[in-house]
Amino acid sequence: MAEKRPDRVLGPFDATFWEYCTKGEFRLQRCNACGHYAWPPAPLCSECLSEDLTWTLLSGRGKVKTHCTFERQYYPECPPPWPVVVVDLEEGPWFVGNPKGINWSELKIGMSVKVSFIDCEDSQGQFKLPVFERA
Amino acid sequence: MAYDLRRLRAMSGRVAVVGVGDTDYGKDYRTPLGTRQRGVPSERDSYALAVEAFKRALADSGLKKEDIDGLLVNGAPYWRIAEILGLRFNWGADQGGAGYHDVAKATEAINSGRCNTVAIIKTTVQRSVGAAFGGTNQTRSGYMANWYYPPWGFTSPGAQYTMAFQQHMERFGSTEEQLGTVAVTFRKHAMLNENAVMRTPLTIEDYTSSRYICRPFHIYDYCIINDGAVVLILTRADRAKDLPHTPVLVAGLGNYGAGIRHTQFSFRFLDEGWENLKNASDEAFGMAGLGPKDITHFQTYDGYSFHLPMNLEGFGFCKRGEGLDFIQDGRIEIGGELPCNTSGGMLSESYMHGSNHQVEAVRQLRREAGQRQVRGAETSMFCHHGHSGADTVIYRRGN
Repeated sequence: MAEKRPDRVLGPFDATFWEYCTKGEFRLQRCNACGHYAWPPAPLCSECLSEDLTWTLLSGRGKVKTHCTFERQYYPECPPPWPVVVVDLEEGPWFVGNPKGINWSELKIGMSVKVSFIDCEDSQGQFKLPVFERA
Repeated sequence: MAYDLRRLRAMSGRVAVVGVGDTDYGKDYRTPLGTRQRGVPSERDSYALAVEAFKRALADSGLKKEDIDGLLVNGAPYWRIAEILGLRFNWGADQGGAGYHDVAKATEAINSGRCNTVAIIKTTVQRSVGAAFGGTNQTRSGYMANWYYPPWGFTSPGAQYTMAFQQHMERFGSTEEQLGTVAVTFRKHAMLNENAVMRTPLTIEDYTSSRYICRPFHIYDYCIINDGAVVLILTRADRAKDLPHTPVLVAGLGNYGAGIRHTQFSFRFLDEGWENLKNASDEAFGMAGLGPKDITHFQTYDGYSFHLPMNLEGFGFCKRGEGLDFIQDGRIEIGGELPCNTSGGMLSESYMHGSNHQVEAVRQLRREAGQRQVRGAETSMFCHHGHSGADTVIYRRGN
């Protein structure tokens, strides 16, 4: 059963990211010229302005950079307490996610986590959402 | 850095704020809203509020309407405001707000000779149209950290700063109770301001027992949402001498923005945030020929309480990591070492997106702040930290 979630931003470069997620692959655009990873998906490398980018499989590993827990209900799909983490991915980007199998009160900055996918759906269709569990 | 201190210093003190006007924030807040709707003209819409603040600022300045030849409007199209007020102008623009941006642009326009006297008009109707800054109304808005992550349930600008405070707590051992000092102190100041929206007493116990919006922020860590307008009139400092009030000079301006990792929160978080703040304040201090020790009155854009300690750290008023200690023991109260947000700020006075702070700076430096007057106020510094990066303006009392 897919979890209902608020809508994804599906701009011109985001759709590919979500297509890979939905196949269970955690990929971001890596610059072939300088190695920089783009997030959110971008038309070109913000470091060296190269347009030669490849959707590259990430390790899915990182450390919790910081976190918060919503107590006010902003979205009907997200009942409080609703924890959010920002993960400092091994490849560089700081990636927003939800903890999976970690209670909000156990979250700690520096905690090692790895990506995992859950079945979701928004008004634009079904997709898999990257979330993070203990590494 | 790319700025040219020699030319900046030549611009310091050449433009003065000579008139200020604001609307009746508290009275408007307590007035029943009736059936006002977004886009539907009403007797108290953004134009009506702008007109009220404009007439007050003009009267305060001692200038005539015909003296105004520059117009900078936030919250309404400037040509329509000009039509309503019957203004002719050489320089006009719509401008993103946050206090600093308006003052900087007007100062630059006057210094460059484009015009002599600018009316900055900020007007905003928020509460009466049910404005909210998180949740479904901002879903799919695009590429900003508080917009891009709805599928993970992340939303609202304030939640970004909760995560900066979380970093501060885990890295330096600071506490929610320490942060509560910001809301409690600004409320105390608002109680000395008859025009403030929130004037009921607030204790640290009230704060710690209040509900969370997004942990670790409590409801009092967020600014209020209300309707209002602010007008500032700026002119050449040499012309200000003939006007009724002590001129308040624009002494320093600073801005530093980095697009790097913008949607990844970048400078909303501690380390990058401190660097942005440092770069912006270095420019403003350099232009003004002043340093933190010379500042007698400080105000931060306080969309959220945590701006204050973070900005004080970034600007060098205390060491990085010590901001939560610095704000304790009355240091930021009127009568303390560095009085901050003395009108109550956006947490308790009015959410005018940084513009109400400019009015308060002028009143303090003119020594017109009544029971909340900071003794010996000679300089006032304002800091904004938001999606434009970090920016700041320093005022000093003229002769």
